[in-house]
Amino acid sequence: MIPARHSFQEAGARARIRALLDAGTFREFCGPAQRHTSPHLPTLGMPVAFDEGVVVGEGAIDGRPVLIAAQEGAFMGGAVGEVHGAKITGLIERALDTRPDAVVLLLDSGGVRLHEANAGLIAVGEIQRAVFDARAAGIPVVTVIGGRNGCYGGTSIIARSCDRIIASEEGRLSVSGPEVIEAVEGVEEFDAQDRALVWRTMGAKHRRLIGEIDALVADDMEAFRGAVSESLGKSRPLDLDELEAEHARLAERLARFEGVSDAREIWAALGVNDPDRVSEIEADEFNRLVATLEGARA
Amino acid sequence: MDASTHPARGGWNSLARNYEARIARGHALVGGKVVPADRTTALLEAVIEPGDRICIEGNNQKHADFLARALAEAAPERVHDLHVVQSNIALAPHLDIFESGIARRLDFCYAGPQGLRLAQLVAAGKVEVGAIHTYLELYGRYFTDLTPRVSLIAAEAADRDGNLYTGPNTEDTPAIVEATAFRSGVLIAQVNRIVDKVPRVDVPGDWVNYVVEAPKPHYIEPIFTRDPAAITDIQVLMAMMVIRGIYEKYGVTRLNHGIGFDTAAIELILPTYAEELGLRGKICRYMSVNPCPTLIPAIESGFIDAIHCAGSELGMERYVSERSDVFFIGRDGTMRSNRVYCQLAGHYADLFIGSTLQIDLEGNSSTATHARITGFGGAPNFGSESRGRRHGSPAWLAAGREAHRQGMPRGRKLVVQMVETFKEGLSPTFVERLDAWDLMDTFNMPLPPVMVYGDDLTHIVTEEGIANLLLCDSLAERAQAIRAVAGYTEVGRKRDRQMVEMLRARGAVVYPEDIGVDKRLASRDLLAARSIKDLVRWSDGLYAPPARFRNW
Repeated sequence: MIPARHSFQEAGARARIRALLDAGTFREFCGPAQRHTSPHLPTLGMPVAFDEGVVVGEGAIDGRPVLIAAQEGAFMGGAVGEVHGAKITGLIERALDTRPDAVVLLLDSGGVRLHEANAGLIAVGEIQRAVFDARAAGIPVVTVIGGRNGCYGGTSIIARSCDRIIASEEGRLSVSGPEVIEAVEGVEEFDAQDRALVWRTMGAKHRRLIGEIDALVADDMEAFRGAVSESLGKSRPLDLDELEAEHARLAERLARFEGVSDAREIWAALGVNDPDRVSEIEADEFNRLVATLEGARA
Repeated sequence: MDASTHPARGGWNSLARNYEARIARGHALVGGKVVPADRTTALLEAVIEPGDRICIEGNNQKHADFLARALAEAAPERVHDLHVVQSNIALAPHLDIFESGIARRLDFCYAGPQGLRLAQLVAAGKVEVGAIHTYLELYGRYFTDLTPRVSLIAAEAADRDGNLYTGPNTEDTPAIVEATAFRSGVLIAQVNRIVDKVPRVDVPGDWVNYVVEAPKPHYIEPIFTRDPAAITDIQVLMAMMVIRGIYEKYGVTRLNHGIGFDTAAIELILPTYAEELGLRGKICRYMSVNPCPTLIPAIESGFIDAIHCAGSELGMERYVSERSDVFFIGRDGTMRSNRVYCQLAGHYADLFIGSTLQIDLEGNSSTATHARITGFGGAPNFGSESRGRRHGSPAWLAAGREAHRQGMPRGRKLVVQMVETFKEGLSPTFVERLDAWDLMDTFNMPLPPVMVYGDDLTHIVTEEGIANLLLCDSLAERAQAIRAVAGYTEVGRKRDRQMVEMLRARGAVVYPEDIGVDKRLASRDLLAARSIKDLVRWSDGLYAPPARFRNW
């Protein structure tokens, strides 16, 4: 048995875009040749990237037009700086003019670039506002998580502002990172070295089971491409009723699981017969499990 | 004359009488073989005498950590000036006993993470280092002049008669036990649990004096697990060159792999690259190495017929048990490892391949770095010519034909170093002068601590190519062959183009294109497993990686 060769996780930002879009359709905006680099990093003696660690542009998936952004996780952990954020914001705002079938955000980031603290924070806010504007105009915004950095901090907030989130099992989604929690709350509360604990607390399977992401796929380009293709043109309502329903759902979840100390207890409460196996099973078996649970709930 | 006395020595059985006295003191304290954990320090104070040679078992994996702590709590007025003779200095208590004066002299093999503190204690005069050994040397000295009087060992389980089950991590226990028990020494074992019947007897109970059930299972470190996700394209390229330029060329079937990412890359392209070259069944059939998880795809693809292990690896227990055709398994179904036998098997294998930190122009290599005393472990014995070898094998004879082109024909073991020209932080691997020379001065050692000597080395593989030192006729040629593969390091930039061309024509310098290695194929796509999760998949779920290696 030789596993699939086209890992999303191992690919860089450009390779991810190439693999997700129809061949030859990608047109990059503000590419590396234009050198829109960070004005802040040189003052700190830090190297810059000619694309600012994010690739943005337009192309097609199954012949349908999309706008797409991909964070380059290898540059500063995909962290969001001022220019990096502006490129994403500009891309999403363009959707109001060109009305694509989706804006796709390939997020691979620890959050805000601390070297540009306030500018980075503002950038996250601007991206979030652009996401809501696009959604209000009926253009779906889809987040894809499957890189080594996961999706943390400000980028996790952006992700949860979108219509849909697609992630591989290797993906993680959380506001605070494991090391931050350990540093603040102590190793007894959260051992960041215990990667099994990290993944069952922040990993995509847990997020899928508690309803924070919409699709879990194997770490395979084709699987990601299929899932993104299925989300094209499907937007979720963004109105008061929807928000109130979501708040009610979160309040109910908090009340139900407040005393729980490990994700496996939550999975058991959700009806998973063998919670210890959840981490071990492959994406298709996991999705069958989710389908069974959702069927039982419906 | 009394048969039990001797005019010069005073007696023929003084060691045995001294042993009886120690056991009498111990039994007076604890009454039998099974020692309550809270009496451990008192027992050690009763049976250990000042100036004793003592071994606290500490291997690559398994550690008698509870006994080490118990000894560190002993009163230095009662237990002092011990001479520690043990393979690894890895835990804080191993050095605490020197700080408090319980121990004074040290003969060892490897210090690892305690290397910095050890260096400081040596500088402060708290530790007198006898010598730094390889494993085989130290255990050899156990049977000559450094036999322990008291050994503190670790096992998985014991019964009430003292029969010990070591589990898959038997490692150094047999060597320690044999030397101690048969020269009137005292053996004290810490075990994870005391049971009615052990799964198998690794150490017979009548050799063991005391067993104590430790409050916590003994410490085991997964030090042989390499995450395939961290292997680079460059390492894949070097692995391709090793397979074509060495394994295929000489037909290497019996070998020992180091434990770095470089050799893990070789293991992971056996099922892809070597398979496509039709090399299954022709190379890499018998290995002396720990059960590294990166071996799983090659085992599952039918490359490897048998592996003997120096120790086990956390998470590999079930997989190994289920592959008894490949591994050495007890009747109870768990692996039996043995460091001494594994070292012996590896010493007489056809090839050793490993990595190092620095190589000089003679091909001497060293992992020594400033301010640390790390020691040798097992690499020098694996990575040296086996001059006592007499039996032929295709690889040994083929290398011998290159090494001994005149005079008496004989074989040659292949000893290979696989390194990138620059290490992390852009420090060059190739140097004119090893840091080992400075280390010798700093710590007053008799010799620079060289891991593999240049005259034992046969090949150096870098991302640039292969230097075949067997085909170099002089030190000057050897230096040029090394410069030829040293890339853009200072050493590499001083190469003589004409000499290098001449050596290349002879085959003493080989570039990838000379052996049909297509650099464009050198990418992680060749790896049969690219993550720990892939290894779990290959193992059919039998490999259970420790939590720290997971990303799911």
